[in-house]
Amino acid sequence: MTPLRVLASRVRGLFAMRRIDRDFEQELESHLAMLTEENIRRGMPPEEARRAARLRLGNPAGLRETNHEVRGWALVETLFRDVAYAFRMLRKSPGFTFVAVLTIALGIGANSAIFSIVNSVLLRPLPVPDAGQIVVLAFQQKGGDVRAWFSYPNFRDIRDQSSAAFSEVAAYRTSFDGLSLNGQSDRILTSYVTGNYFSMLGFRPALGRLIDPYEGDVMRADPVLVLGYAYWRSRFAGDPQIIGRKVSINGQPVTVIGVAPEGFHGTLSTAETQAYLPISMAAVGNSRFRSMLANRAGGPFLVLGRLKPGVSLAQAQAMLGVVARRLSSDHPRSDSDLSLSAYPETLARPFPSAHNPLLGVAALFLALAALVLLLACVNIVNLLLVRAAVRRREMAVRSALGGSRSRLIRQLLTESLLLAFLGGAVGIVLGIWTSAAVASVKFSSNLPLLLDFHFDWRVFLYAFAATLVTGLLVGIVPTLRAARVAPATVLHEGGRNLSPGRQRLRTALVVAQVAGSLMLLVIAGLFTRSLERAQHVQLGFDPSHVLNVSMDPHEIGYSDAQARQFYRTLMDRVRALPGVRSASLAFTVPMRYYTSNSDTLDIDGYTPPPGKAKPVVAFNVVGPGYFRTMGIPLVGGRSFTDADDQQTQPVAIINETMAERFWPHEDPIGRKFRLTSAPNRWFEVAGVAGDSKMLSIVGPSAPYFFVPLAQMYMSYQTLQLRTAGPPAAMIPAVRSLVASLAPGLPLFDVGTMDEALSSSAFLLFRFGAVLAAALGVLGLMLAVVGVYGVTSYATARRTHEIGIRLALGAHPWQILRMILSQGALVVGIGLAVGLLGTLAAARVVGSFLIISATDPTTYAVVSFVLAVVALLACYVPARRAMRVDPAARLRHE
Amino acid sequence: MTEARSDILQGTLDLMVLKTLEAMGPLHGYGIARRIEQVSENLLQLNQGTIYASLVRLLQRGWISAAWGTSENNRKAKFYSITRAGRKQLAAETENWERFSGVIGRMLALADRRQS
Repeated sequence: MTPLRVLASRVRGLFAMRRIDRDFEQELESHLAMLTEENIRRGMPPEEARRAARLRLGNPAGLRETNHEVRGWALVETLFRDVAYAFRMLRKSPGFTFVAVLTIALGIGANSAIFSIVNSVLLRPLPVPDAGQIVVLAFQQKGGDVRAWFSYPNFRDIRDQSSAAFSEVAAYRTSFDGLSLNGQSDRILTSYVTGNYFSMLGFRPALGRLIDPYEGDVMRADPVLVLGYAYWRSRFAGDPQIIGRKVSINGQPVTVIGVAPEGFHGTLSTAETQAYLPISMAAVGNSRFRSMLANRAGGPFLVLGRLKPGVSLAQAQAMLGVVARRLSSDHPRSDSDLSLSAYPETLARPFPSAHNPLLGVAALFLALAALVLLLACVNIVNLLLVRAAVRRREMAVRSALGGSRSRLIRQLLTESLLLAFLGGAVGIVLGIWTSAAVASVKFSSNLPLLLDFHFDWRVFLYAFAATLVTGLLVGIVPTLRAARVAPATVLHEGGRNLSPGRQRLRTALVVAQVAGSLMLLVIAGLFTRSLERAQHVQLGFDPSHVLNVSMDPHEIGYSDAQARQFYRTLMDRVRALPGVRSASLAFTVPMRYYTSNSDTLDIDGYTPPPGKAKPVVAFNVVGPGYFRTMGIPLVGGRSFTDADDQQTQPVAIINETMAERFWPHEDPIGRKFRLTSAPNRWFEVAGVAGDSKMLSIVGPSAPYFFVPLAQMYMSYQTLQLRTAGPPAAMIPAVRSLVASLAPGLPLFDVGTMDEALSSSAFLLFRFGAVLAAALGVLGLMLAVVGVYGVTSYATARRTHEIGIRLALGAHPWQILRMILSQGALVVGIGLAVGLLGTLAAARVVGSFLIISATDPTTYAVVSFVLAVVALLACYVPARRAMRVDPAARLRHE
Repeated sequence: MTEARSDILQGTLDLMVLKTLEAMGPLHGYGIARRIEQVSENLLQLNQGTIYASLVRLLQRGWISAAWGTSENNRKAKFYSITRAGRKQLAAETENWERFSGVIGRMLALADRRQS
């Protein structure tokens, strides 16, 4: 406690120095007066008394200084002096300072930018009180995956039976809806929330009120809506008058009652929720909603809970275990072998899973960025060593003049820390620019992705820590070396010494640099080649000349009958447009992740292997002509026709993998299966389609099937056109056609299939490739600067020796060869070390790639390029050495 | 070397100041210096200014507190008084000092015996 108090009083002292000085002055004054009075009382004459008193008290200037020192002023004064001196030293060599600051800035910039992304995706908690208590629930059935989408009955039972662990358990389902006001319709991302959703989060609205706990209990009652803050700002220009106004959602009037607080983007971590409605409002215009609420198998509800204060995650987990066992035994048909788990909200992004893949990606890129910073440090250490050699005389003189060793070390460390902080400051600016640039990437999707990479205190703290570590790392080696200087030797040798030890260290640093940049470049190369490979992967469909246009007539209040009629007319008219080869409707398009359907299947003649759950298979709902438009070949059976409708036998077309998986070595045509969500309809297999990449560009192809739109109607559909000319040219014609048929219907995700793929399927690879390439180029630049710097310095130190060699008759080419071969040796060792290191790291990277992590082509090409570049960096100083004029050089000494 | 010696003196002076404040109650710097000189029967002639370094140290540690007041001669002066933490520290220091001086005394007695 006491040292802390001393420190506090010293710091206070610093700020109140003036007042304290005056105070002390007065105190001394009064002391002096008392002494004088006493002396006078003893009989001294006043003049004499005053002089004697001064003697007794001591020298006032000295006293003041002691006072300062005790109060901690001295320490800070020294620090200021060190910093000022360091500034002067850096100003004296602007070239060095510029290169060093820039190098550190690039390193810190890369690190802070990548960390800001990781921070926003994985670390920044929800902006709610005690965000640490918020958990996401998930379930798993034996042999199945961890899933986060609960049925309403299961949510209700969990909520009612786990009140010992959670103060609130709330559910919501996300949806896209049409919001219109004054004839303008927007398609927005909405959350239908249980009444306790907002009270569980526990914040106050920015405006108006939030949805109350009793709202949402009665179907279709409570037509109210809470706007998301960002949407309120962008659509309604932040108009406070909006509260109490009626807007329409999917054609139904609802009243805006409030605005969610600023900074809250909803609980779906990847996208910005634009409005919130009571869960009962999902029933409006959705005839199936009521039966969906009653169905215990499968459901769309994400479930959040708030832990009671003092309840740990493990305790909650244990209580959920009890609930899960009860559900399993009460509902064996839907909930057999059920287990429940709770994930802290930040670890459940984007959705809870057993092994969150984002963690691995984040760790990989943070490690790569750290490697860049390390290379930057190595570069600066190199530069500093060169400077240290130059400054040996200065250090020797200072130490001969009585500068204490600790003071010299402090001085050098101050310099390197100052460099680091200058670089760090510039780096943070670079980082903010970079992450803003990443966040402003345009996607061809209308999904309101949440890309808020702003720098908050976590990012600044990370950047600060990285800067501090950089400063210490960079400072420690040259400092220790400089401090070991024996002044006498240095002052005697006249500055022409070549200490072999220091040379060895520098060589080792170059080896490290070459090795590190090889690692970065190989990883960048692997990502780039993966992207290239992904773009040439056999998709199984033909994306060229396809236009996608999505719409949902439900959003402007169309009934199912109206919407079906609209689609029928639309298809007739679209097919008649000039330039359209084929047109069809589908619920989803390949790799549009946010609209994919899947269900658990009961399959006639197939029993899952023991210990495995029933298969979950993804599917699409498509109209006639789909396979022609998409260019997917049929390998057996028939395609859908207009005759497949509500009155006839439900049919399905399955892909080859599904046929192979469930009916191996049999003819699947005529076999049947059913969906858990529609248990009384058995779909008969009518055809088999060729495998196509529907869900992911990577990995083996998975079972997939198609059912006819007429037999499983959805109002949300995507119109797909195969065109003769460039597909984008058809957009205006389609827009005006839709506008004439259904005025005010919002169209979204309008674009070519190629665009859609590049912002979904290839996005991750492109992102990885660009990021890794940027880091790789940084690494390469640093390596070139490092190799060049060391070689030219070493050559410059040897001009004397080279001069003698030349004078003794050596041919300039021999000099060139000597220097180049020494450079080549160092680069070669660096490459070898780097290859070994990369092979070791490759296993970690492998899971993010399409090509093998030990792809020999990448390794060979990158090594070759790096070797050539590094040797070029050696060649320039070697050429210079070759041209040394021996006579001039020796005379100069 | 010089540093080490002044450390001992500092510590001793701090102890004397604390003891003085405990015995006399609130006092100003001059009063403390006078008192120490009197008690030492003028064997210890202080450069009276050095008392202030000691006072700042004790203040920083929270062992004494200070407040401006008026002296017996109606002069404005800063008065120091010992705090509870200061009393505790004084007790501990006193015990230390006694133990230490006991040891020194025995050591010196031992040396004497060998000489005789």
